[in-house]
Amino acid sequence: MRKLFVASLKMLYRDKQTLFYALLFPVIFAVVFGLFDFSRGPKVDIAMVGARTSPVYRALVEGLRPVASFSVKEGRTLASARAALTAGDIDVVLSVPGEPPAGSSPAIGPAVIEVLYNQSNFDTNQFALGAIERIVDRLNLTLSGVRSPPLVVAPNGVKARTIDYYDFLLPGLVAMGVMQFSIIGMAVAIARFREQRILKRILATPLAPSKFLVAQVGARLVLSVVQAALIMAVGMVLFGARVYGSIFWIVALAAVANLIFLNIGVAVAGRAPNPDAAQGIGNVVALPMMFLSGVFFPTETLPAAMRAVVRYLPLTPLIEALRTIANDGLPITAAGSQLALLGVWVLVSFLLANRAFRFARA
Amino acid sequence: MTQSEPAVEVRDLVKEFPAPGGGTIRAVDGVSFSVRRGEIFGFLGPNGAGKTTTLEVVEGLASPTSGQTFVLGSDSHKDAARVKSRIGVQLQAAAYFDHLRLDEILELFGSFYPRSVSPDVLLAKVGLSEKRRARLKELSGGQAQRFSIVAAMVNDPEVLFLDEPTTGLDPQARRHLWDVIGSINREEGKTIVLTTHYMEEAELLCDRVAIIDNGRIVALDTPLGLVRQLPAAYRIAFATGRAIDEEDLARLPGVAEVAALPNGERRYELRVRDPQATLFAFTTWARDRQVALDDVRVSPATLEEVFLSLTGHALRE
Repeated sequence: MRKLFVASLKMLYRDKQTLFYALLFPVIFAVVFGLFDFSRGPKVDIAMVGARTSPVYRALVEGLRPVASFSVKEGRTLASARAALTAGDIDVVLSVPGEPPAGSSPAIGPAVIEVLYNQSNFDTNQFALGAIERIVDRLNLTLSGVRSPPLVVAPNGVKARTIDYYDFLLPGLVAMGVMQFSIIGMAVAIARFREQRILKRILATPLAPSKFLVAQVGARLVLSVVQAALIMAVGMVLFGARVYGSIFWIVALAAVANLIFLNIGVAVAGRAPNPDAAQGIGNVVALPMMFLSGVFFPTETLPAAMRAVVRYLPLTPLIEALRTIANDGLPITAAGSQLALLGVWVLVSFLLANRAFRFARA
Repeated sequence: MTQSEPAVEVRDLVKEFPAPGGGTIRAVDGVSFSVRRGEIFGFLGPNGAGKTTTLEVVEGLASPTSGQTFVLGSDSHKDAARVKSRIGVQLQAAAYFDHLRLDEILELFGSFYPRSVSPDVLLAKVGLSEKRRARLKELSGGQAQRFSIVAAMVNDPEVLFLDEPTTGLDPQARRHLWDVIGSINREEGKTIVLTTHYMEEAELLCDRVAIIDNGRIVALDTPLGLVRQLPAAYRIAFATGRAIDEEDLARLPGVAEVAALPNGERRYELRVRDPQATLFAFTTWARDRQVALDDVRVSPATLEEVFLSLTGHALRE
């Protein structure tokens, strides 16, 4: 059994195609997403239109300039600014009226500052319009002669745990990596053994066929530890992903939960007539989980009916448990319900594999 | 366990498969035979005759629909573990692990048995010592077949099953493999059961041959014994300088048939029952007619002809 296990490991690490899918493929994901900068806030381009000499205009520009997210552009006519807004080059146009006619009194009514904005850009609007209104309020107070307002806000930010999208994504990539490699890789490998009649050849020896499968599964579990550790290392070392919990438990959990996906891979191989079919069926099983189980976005954003199903797919509790450790910095025991669900899946997937897989077809 | 027990004993074996689209296909239809210890026993028949299925049931890889199979006195299904540890199996067109070296494959398969032969000894047996660190895909067709034979011998088996060991090989590699199989049988005393669809292979290699067609054994004997079952088991071939009267020849004692060979050199062939009696009359006839004989050959008929006469169709159609 020891020789069989060692030989199974050798077969794996000498198989370039398997190594590519196991190690390089998820690492490419980790690198590509690492290259995006998810921590940057929205950038708002504001075009100022109107009489540049008017005090209102000057006061607005001075109020907007210090805000880091605003980029104030001057010198356009109203028409060209409108065109730029329509084209999407500008997010907001502020049109300031000229000097009020001499001698006019405030009783005529307030001077109107027209704000044009792109209606489809919801986040930018909320942020920019709010800021503009605050600046105008301050101007109004000044113009009304209020020197010291009765109420002021003293902002006092508390440094909280920061999670950006990449920190959120990385545990998902670990789970996705072990799943893809195990379901499809295992199914294709065993279907190929069958096609090459290696399974039948083994059946002609006194070796218990189940031992052969156990050795295959064991070797792939070892590889999945390497795989999970590598994805985490690339994310943390190269792209500074923040992980607040135990990396040991993240890797260990991914590897152990991988037993589920390896069992599913064996079950797929049991139903597939050849390696191509194994690849196809494997994808049918793995792809929905990859997109629905929350690798790339929280499952809370799914329609409720869909989420009710998705939460029971094996990848979902794995990702949730990994995020409990990595993002929330909690011990593995905090993900009790997820661990229980994974335990059930280990059992169910084993029974599935046992039912679907026959070493030889009579 | 006594040495007198046959190596393989098969009684009334029937194997049916579900047919695509319903019903069943009877691949093996009531086969009985026994293989003696130390002999090379051959199954000769066309593709689909039931050779491979019969072997797989005997080896314990497939279960019989009915009938019994014994190897070295043990039931190959009720006592499968015992049988599997004492036999070696080479499957038709089977591969081994792509990513292991030859010595690693032998080592691995050896670990499946209670005792095993070292890879070096096995590889030396078939002249592959140099290739011990090679992968299977780096070998020629003949080398790969030789490897698959020793891979079936890691447990020093008493009975070796070879399923079409030479199919797809060029003539030179085939002859080399015959030498290998012959020496395994002679020098190590191993019983060998093989299947083939090459007449020449069955004639040259096998002590006894079972001719199998449509799931039934239609004849079982030594190659020469099978040939002797033919009404005219021998042929006398010759060339002459001038045309002869074929009907004249056909009247000679023991001649069943006279045929002019189609190569245009005035070559003829007589099919005869008793070559000794016919030869005497034939040479007398030649002297009397003053026919100059050239290149006279006497040979037994081939298994090809036996097969044709038994089944009514050629081995490969």
